[in-house]
Amino acid sequence: MENGRSILIDVTKCIGCRSCEQACKQLHGFPLESEAKLSVTALTVIEERGDKFVRRMCMHCQDPACASACLVGALKKTAAGPVTYDGSKCIGCRYCLVACPFNVPRYEWSKLVPYVKKCDMCAERQLAGQQPACVEACPTGASIVGTREEMLEEAQRRILGDSHYVKHIYGSEEAGGTSVFFISDVPFEKLGFVAAPKQPMPVLTANALGDGPTVILMGGALLSGLYWITQRRAEVAAVEGKENLGRKSR
Amino acid sequence: MAAKADRLVEAAKGAQDFGKELVMSTKLIPRITLWRTIVAVIFAAGIYATYARFALGFAQSTHLTDPQPWGLWVGLGTLCGVGLSAGGFAIAAAVYLLGFERYRPVLRTAVLVSFLGYMSVITGMMYELGLPWRIWHPIVMWNRHSVLFEVSWCVMLYTTVLALEFSPSLVEKIPWKGFREFYLTWHHKILIALVLIGTLLSSMHQSFLGALYLITKGKLDPLWYSPYLTTEFYLSAIPAGLAVTIMALYLCVRSLNVKLDLKILSDVSRVIAPLLALWGVFRIVDLVTHDATPYLFVWREETLSFWLEMILLVIAPVVLLIREKVRSNPQYLYWTCALVVMGFMANRLNVSITGLQATSGVYYVPKWTEFATSLAVLTAVVLAFRYAVIYLDILPKNPPQQRWMVSSAEA
Repeated sequence: MENGRSILIDVTKCIGCRSCEQACKQLHGFPLESEAKLSVTALTVIEERGDKFVRRMCMHCQDPACASACLVGALKKTAAGPVTYDGSKCIGCRYCLVACPFNVPRYEWSKLVPYVKKCDMCAERQLAGQQPACVEACPTGASIVGTREEMLEEAQRRILGDSHYVKHIYGSEEAGGTSVFFISDVPFEKLGFVAAPKQPMPVLTANALGDGPTVILMGGALLSGLYWITQRRAEVAAVEGKENLGRKSR
Repeated sequence: MAAKADRLVEAAKGAQDFGKELVMSTKLIPRITLWRTIVAVIFAAGIYATYARFALGFAQSTHLTDPQPWGLWVGLGTLCGVGLSAGGFAIAAAVYLLGFERYRPVLRTAVLVSFLGYMSVITGMMYELGLPWRIWHPIVMWNRHSVLFEVSWCVMLYTTVLALEFSPSLVEKIPWKGFREFYLTWHHKILIALVLIGTLLSSMHQSFLGALYLITKGKLDPLWYSPYLTTEFYLSAIPAGLAVTIMALYLCVRSLNVKLDLKILSDVSRVIAPLLALWGVFRIVDLVTHDATPYLFVWREETLSFWLEMILLVIAPVVLLIREKVRSNPQYLYWTCALVVMGFMANRLNVSITGLQATSGVYYVPKWTEFATSLAVLTAVVLAFRYAVIYLDILPKNPPQQRWMVSSAEA
């Protein structure tokens, strides 16, 4: 997983041709009209920010919030890199939408049997040795794919070699690190990137969950103890009551 | 002597009224009254909303969107439903484990309210889930890193515990003596274990409902996001659950012409104010230590909602409940408890909706069909409660209730 497949997106190289959008839509059989925001029929989109084009897609976190949130384990971080979704397990609770720090997953609100939709980094294609459809379609090399280590090295090489780049690789530490990286010559907050927490999101709930067994053990012991005292007092009271009665009758 | 005669006359009159009511209810066409009309309208709206949800889908029945994936059904149906049903475990633990015998008369009422509350939560789940026919999936598909997984298991197990805790009220009405005695003896043997398990399960999932929002760091407003959401949810659920129990008992007295020793209500209310005050202090200390102080006095919707929550849930009830006059007057007490319940609902809706509004970028107002299903489920709970207390021995027995004798003789 540490060295699974990753995508590096260089905002400076994107010309907004939307070939990635189209390739993704073709692959999934979605209607081909371009959309402004991620949707159930647009798992990646190009957003225009000033004169820049910013691609949106699932960040494929190293330790994903969605996968930790999913109560039936439908969302999983695979060793190969992609975060995948198994619709056959999903019960439609939508906690993944609540949990995702990047607001990526989409829900089929208008369907009677609705599922979650999000990019899976073409997990199947990659297993077959192909590139993700969006990367393959990119004519300028704004999106490239490789191992996580390779992509981080390449990103670092570019931002150190050219003073125009912002000295930050978006995704290197966001939400504890992701498998999709962005580099840019415009500050990320101006391009609509969220300032996600730096720690892996599941850490936030792990502490509370870790307290569970302690609560059960300590609470169980405490309550049993209290019950024992309660019962003992009742017994003592009963015996004393009898003794008092005895004394009175004598 | 005169007082006694008065009471007898009153009781006889009550019996007569009740007899009339029974005759009425056996007629095919029920008499049209204001309350029955309201109930009918609520159910008609609920039926349409149910049709909209299952035949037309979320898009037609809710205003939920991708940035606001959880709305009224989670905020009100689940968070408030579970929280307001905390009275059962609190009273059961107080009576059986801590030996507060003085609360025993209200035990059955508290357990019944909780049981019906959890049934409403599970019913609400069927609307809330996108694929409700897969509600059993968490039983076989485990993800122990998920807070929601823990919550779902606790709710399943605790609903079972509540059903078992409540079961004697039904079983004792079964005419077969052998079965009845066998069941009740067996039940008596495991009762303490049930209560203990129920207390632990409740403590776990009441607080884990707060833990659901720990993962929304960066999205949830600083006035509500806290690493101690667990403690805050737990601490507020107990007084709110007790307030609901008091309200339910008071409504029985008012609408069913039941006589009970109202001192018990003021006894229960005694613990509410300290718990609410504790919650308030905990919350303020938490906000101050997490540098949320600047947000406390800004003119914006979140801050107004926060103060509404604080006034309804802490300030007003505490000020009222420390007065003997309020605690000992059932009507004052009822309205004070209503404040607590409203404040509690404000808190849960703030965490689940208001606090997430700014970062979601959409302004969510539930569609009327969302209100309609919630209201229909609530009405069903109230009706179930009403019939349960009429036909089963739920309510406290002091002073002796002649009406019950009449009803069981006629039934």
